[in-house]
Amino acid sequence: MKSPLNKRLLRELRSEMGKYAVIAILLVATIGFVSGFLVADFSMIAAYNEGFEKYHIEDGHFRVESALNRAQAKALTAAGVTLYDLHYREASLKNGSTLRIYPNRTQVNTVCLMQGALPAAATEIAIDRMYADNNSLTIGDTLTAASGESWTVTGFVALPDYSCLFSDNSDAMFDAVKFGVAVMAPDGYAALQEPQTWNYAWVYDTKPGSEAEQKDAAEDFMKVVNKAVSLQDFVPAYENQAITFTGEDMGSDRSMMIALLYIIIVIMAFVFAVTTVNTIAKESSVIGTLRALGYTRGELVRHYMAMPVLVTLISAAVGNLLGYTFLKDICAGMYYGSYSLPTYETRWNADAFWMTTAVPVALMIFINWFVLARTLRLPPLQFLRHDLSRRSGRKRALPLPKLLPFFTRFRIRVILQNLGSYAVLFIGILFANLLLSFGLMLPDALNHYSETIADNMLCSTQTLLQIPYSAMNEDKKLNALVSMMLFRMETETDENHAEPFSAYTLQTLSAQEGGIANSESVMLYGVEPDSRYVALPGNGIYISAAYAEKYRVAAGDTVTLREKYEDTQYSLSVDGVYDYMGAIAIFMPRETLNQIFDLGTGYYGGYFSDAPLTEIDEKYIGSVIDYDALTKISRQLTVSMGSMMGLVNGFAIMIFVVVVYLLGKMVIEKNAQSISMAKILGYNGGEIARLYLLSTTAVVLLCLAVSLPIEVYIMQLLFRAIILESMTGWISLWVSPTLYPRMMAAGIISYAAVAILEYRRIRRVPMDEALKNVE
Amino acid sequence: MFLQLQQIKKSFGKGDNRVEVLKGIDLAVEKGEFCVLLGPSGSGKSTLLNILGGIDRADSGDILIGGERMADMNEKALTLYRRRHLGYIFQMYNLIPNLTVRENIEVGAYLSRRALDVDELLHVLGLWEHRSKLPNQLSGGQQQRTSIGRAIVKNPDILLCDEPTGALDYKTGKEILTLIETVNQKYGNTVIMVTHNDAIRLMADRVVKLRDGQIRSNTLNASKVSARDLEW
Repeated sequence: MKSPLNKRLLRELRSEMGKYAVIAILLVATIGFVSGFLVADFSMIAAYNEGFEKYHIEDGHFRVESALNRAQAKALTAAGVTLYDLHYREASLKNGSTLRIYPNRTQVNTVCLMQGALPAAATEIAIDRMYADNNSLTIGDTLTAASGESWTVTGFVALPDYSCLFSDNSDAMFDAVKFGVAVMAPDGYAALQEPQTWNYAWVYDTKPGSEAEQKDAAEDFMKVVNKAVSLQDFVPAYENQAITFTGEDMGSDRSMMIALLYIIIVIMAFVFAVTTVNTIAKESSVIGTLRALGYTRGELVRHYMAMPVLVTLISAAVGNLLGYTFLKDICAGMYYGSYSLPTYETRWNADAFWMTTAVPVALMIFINWFVLARTLRLPPLQFLRHDLSRRSGRKRALPLPKLLPFFTRFRIRVILQNLGSYAVLFIGILFANLLLSFGLMLPDALNHYSETIADNMLCSTQTLLQIPYSAMNEDKKLNALVSMMLFRMETETDENHAEPFSAYTLQTLSAQEGGIANSESVMLYGVEPDSRYVALPGNGIYISAAYAEKYRVAAGDTVTLREKYEDTQYSLSVDGVYDYMGAIAIFMPRETLNQIFDLGTGYYGGYFSDAPLTEIDEKYIGSVIDYDALTKISRQLTVSMGSMMGLVNGFAIMIFVVVVYLLGKMVIEKNAQSISMAKILGYNGGEIARLYLLSTTAVVLLCLAVSLPIEVYIMQLLFRAIILESMTGWISLWVSPTLYPRMMAAGIISYAAVAILEYRRIRRVPMDEALKNVE
Repeated sequence: MFLQLQQIKKSFGKGDNRVEVLKGIDLAVEKGEFCVLLGPSGSGKSTLLNILGGIDRADSGDILIGGERMADMNEKALTLYRRRHLGYIFQMYNLIPNLTVRENIEVGAYLSRRALDVDELLHVLGLWEHRSKLPNQLSGGQQQRTSIGRAIVKNPDILLCDEPTGALDYKTGKEILTLIETVNQKYGNTVIMVTHNDAIRLMADRVVKLRDGQIRSNTLNASKVSARDLEW
């Protein structure tokens, strides 16, 4: 025979529909979203990984000054590779962005057509899908170049060698707003006015396996290329951020999403447990009778646990269903908002199912079992006597000074009666506001970063020179010497107050090497003694403020850096911090830098200037650091995370409302008899609301006020950990002076909506409630 | 003897606040006997019933039921003992509000391997017409009948009743007493009833009077009066 107590479950569900509905909605939304995310994540990673073979992705590419001749090509292919033309032209568009245009690819890095059609006519173009999204371009639109040329967009594509839109491999962050890629029909491409960049992709005839083998193969091939041609750029695929960044970044949010799910489940499990404990208190005599009749504690624990588990199971089933259908596409859309990925197929993911169904149910069972088993441990007689206190002897009332007005004392009693519920309320509010603070603080921090960078730049334009590969060819020493002399002569300038500086790039130590984050590039600047742009306070070594903040380094400390591909390490003693937040950088006098790295007296590697330099040939310019380059990080994060922040804020408010609603409702239900009696005595609805509702209001306001600094503190820790883990460079978490008022306002407005519902509940308590049999 | 109590003592509180509620109770009850524990408030009768029912522990003394010694039972064994041998009826009905009359009785039936037929019992209890009603649709007497059904459906060896008519009017109280009498006669359960209503002693086989934690008298009724004929 099944326990007849089970028959209560459906009736309980019907009679407490409001309570279970709000919990279920929150659980379905959370489980659905995380399930959708995990499925999308898994499917996208699969699509990305399979793309290497499916779209025949290159093993690397190199850039040369002019087309390879037959002999050169033969010499290169003899090294065990197949070469493919991957030339492109870059057009500056009137919308302020740069489009890198390729002729349609058929052999290597083949094109994934996402929407529309590939270009056929000379005036047609298919552009990267994400670039189109970010610039609000649709099929049929016309793109116009600064040169006056114009093309009609026929389709949206994803290029597998640009899953992440890095225009330059040395960039700290990709830029899918001001940089895009496109393909054109061969005729159209040939007719472009822009100069062609001679770029070649290679694919090994025999693929190297491990990372070490890939590195060896690339180094060997670079020697061969360097011998045959004058190299301008050489990027093996494993180092190409446009290819690898997506793969490395995808999956990194997974643990955060799962943690979010479990935190919400734990909070809801405690909310469930607290409301069930309240039900147990209400049904105390029934429980005492059942125990007296011989029901075991286990049977009753299982009975009272059934509803939370049932609601979680149903929510998990519905959540997973939504996750696999509707929400999966929304989550995939978030990836498509950051990366230019090809189309994907939904993959069944057993891990996602377990993590979003079995684990939440297990958490719900464990927490409810823990709380309920403790509550139901009391002997049957105590239940029969309605004495659920664990302390022996009668509980004494806390003495309150008579000076306090009666209503205040009453409210304090209500608060003391519900301390357990209010503790859960505090945790719920803390977590909800933590999410809200994340949703509000990240955009604030990014905006603030962009604003302060403008005032904090070293100069309007930093031009980093690039020594031609020919100047470094050790096999052709005479040629190299001539190239270097030519380079020196052609890069000398004083236009726009250009001031030379020497530059050297080192790497920070990775966590495995004793550092605190992933290894990243550090630019070392050697500046002129009386620099117009970088006024160092002395002749020592100064780190940028961003460096000091990220790595927590101060004057007197020593920083250890290493060469990128070598084990050589340098320890530099820091003399001070230079106020510059734009990059992880080190400043010192030019002579000092040249001496440390044996660069020769008079060496310089770039210019600070008030405006872009036009006199230097582009082939000698490695990169230009201007406002756009420095704000690339914040711009891209704003684009890729902006849509998510609205979702985070909505979710935070939903958790807040659900927790406050459920626990506020519980306080009123617990006191229904007293409320009813107060009505009989002649208290009006407003007075009763002041007694019971204002207690919860006071607690909510207190929770909001107390939780805010805690949330900001936790956010600072989390933000730091996220930035350290997931990106190079540094953005400090700026706390806007309006943050507290905004968060308080969000809390108060959300609570006001709940309070109206609770007020209606108080008014609905009937007067005969007080006259009813307690059970 | 089916039920034997030897020197049962129980006190509450500590130090100066210590109150001795039971001061060495000796009692024996035969199987199938209808025993009434009579006494004023504070005489210790409910405490004695709770100890008999295994929901409270004696400080000292022995209770033997069908040869089993209660003092040797741990909490799990006590639960099993209650499950197998006891039915409980309280002054308050303690019904589950969102289960129907029939389902409330099934709550008791679930615990027993030799449960009585629920439909037959509903007829015996006069609840057949009300079987699909929820407790809040019933009168006090009907609710108490339901709680008796819940206790008796297990077919327990001992039926413990704690002031079962305390919250009922005269007429309904008599109906309930008649029902308990019927149950005792029909199913042969031992009934131990706590009451302060002196008139009820007339329907019992054994009458035990308690005062101040001690048995003042323990007598067997030579001739019982039917519950229907009781007056108070």
